[in-house]
Amino acid sequence: MIEVEDLRKTFHVSRRRSGFGGALRGLVSREGREVQAVDGISFSVAAGEMVGYVGPNGAGKSTTIKMLTGILVPSSGKVSVAGLVPWERRRELAGKIGAVFGQRTQLWWDLPLIESLTLLQHVYDVPAARFNENLRYFREVLELDDFLDTPVRQLSLGQRMRGDLVAALLHDPPILYLDEPTIGLDVIARARIREVLHDINRERGVTVLLTTHDMADITRLCRRMMIIDRGKLLYDGSVEAIRERFGAERTLVVDLDESEAVDGQLCVPGTTDVRRDGPRHWLRFRRDQITAAQVIPALTARYRIRDLTLEEPEIEGIVRRIYEEGMGSRG
Amino acid sequence: MLARLRDDLQLYRLFVLSRLRAQLQYRGSFLMMTVITFFGLLAEFLAVLILFNRFGELAGWEVGEVAFLYGIASVSFGLAEMFGAGFDVFPEMIRRGEFDRVLLRPRSAFFQILSADFQLRRIGRISQGSLALGLAFAWASPEWSPAKMLYLPAMLACGMVIYISFFVLGATLCFWTVESVEVINVITHGGTEFASYPLPIYHLLMQRFFTFVVPLAFVSYFPSLYLLDRPEAADWPLALLVLSPFAAAAFIALVARVAWSVGVRHYRSTGN
Repeated sequence: MIEVEDLRKTFHVSRRRSGFGGALRGLVSREGREVQAVDGISFSVAAGEMVGYVGPNGAGKSTTIKMLTGILVPSSGKVSVAGLVPWERRRELAGKIGAVFGQRTQLWWDLPLIESLTLLQHVYDVPAARFNENLRYFREVLELDDFLDTPVRQLSLGQRMRGDLVAALLHDPPILYLDEPTIGLDVIARARIREVLHDINRERGVTVLLTTHDMADITRLCRRMMIIDRGKLLYDGSVEAIRERFGAERTLVVDLDESEAVDGQLCVPGTTDVRRDGPRHWLRFRRDQITAAQVIPALTARYRIRDLTLEEPEIEGIVRRIYEEGMGSRG
Repeated sequence: MLARLRDDLQLYRLFVLSRLRAQLQYRGSFLMMTVITFFGLLAEFLAVLILFNRFGELAGWEVGEVAFLYGIASVSFGLAEMFGAGFDVFPEMIRRGEFDRVLLRPRSAFFQILSADFQLRRIGRISQGSLALGLAFAWASPEWSPAKMLYLPAMLACGMVIYISFFVLGATLCFWTVESVEVINVITHGGTEFASYPLPIYHLLMQRFFTFVVPLAFVSYFPSLYLLDRPEAADWPLALLVLSPFAAAAFIALVARVAWSVGVRHYRSTGN
């Protein structure tokens, strides 16, 4: 469904000058430097797959997505999406993809949700019967009825995200790009969006490329993930392997009570005290060897504790550790 | 090609209609904004009249005739603002990264932008310009013929096209730099001011500039020579005088359209 071969994109970043004269000079000057935003990426995604595409900020994720949608023309490389070269057939391809950008809505701010959806029906030329059927389906799974007639600007973030999801799927696109679809949502709204994404992928066979900062999105939804950093693919393989390697490790952040005087490391069976900062200690342990429910009582039995936080591995942390420790073979 | 244009226009109509409906829901704020615009601009028009009270005439043009120029310029610009202001707010769109979304739809980017900021309250300027035109008819009492009655709306449409073309050119500049947009604002927003006075009051260099480079003289001055039977009309063959505004509008629209395509291509190769 998506084929990418040695894709590259180089940006020319010009030096910004201040003031009006500077702006005028900026128009003609070619001064600046070259940035390799995407630096030789190859992968392919089969129809019906749901793949996590992650990496730190500025890694090249959105540049890749922009090239896959035909918004950006690459510097070099081959891309085929649904059998089309995106930047040559942008308008044709646009009818075959849906996109949700968590941070920006595609809905019309001052129109009721239903009106935005009707406009999109015309934008994408969706036959009325198909539109009604899809709308009925999404009204049910996303529970839209409460806010279908509310202007978009009055929707909560979770409602707006559900609205955006419908908007992206009304024209039955075989491919869906999701960029931070759960950003800013509370735990319940997040879980619901994930559930719906799972269903859409399963029941409608939509191919999904998911970009997110939330490792939990990936582990709940995807079997396969690609990690990108500095324009290069660091990892392309199963989510399970990453989880086993890095995800099994959790960190308990412990704030000792002021009355507790511990010199050196905390000693709790099954854990390693990896870092210390004043009364705060970081205890690392493996999920497959010991549970948090076992660690915490053992800890409180030995020390007086003021506060505890459990940290799950984050994508930035995983990327850092891949650099530190290497991944071995790809996949 | 033609079918695509028809589809795009149809979509433009839908976008505008739905914005219209949304805006009519807030009738109070719409009325207030319209009234404010109307009176704000009326003050500007009054300033012109007061000036005349002192001088009596301007380069051989009487008060009614200048009111006519003012009215044509104002209505044309009002129409442009109403139907093409999406390009006027384009710098904001590009800054917020919303242009990517436009490119993600299977429709012409041009018409999507055009309809992006339809504001009914812009009717304030149009009605104020119409008022000026009405007064001009009363004061200057030009001789009317059916041909002239058809020509006037055609000229308003040409003026609108010329102004929208400059909105488009200004928006195109944003693909390279958002800072220099002010240059174009001087031409578009300042241009109504220019087109409100008879051409000969300006320096010869400026006259040439606004005829051949930035063809704002075709918005109001040249059409008025014919419509008001001004003596200056005798300097030109009638057909040339009557047809030149169409040529100017078509030319600048073509330039704007080509520049826009180049800009979009640039954007798609460099990103934002």
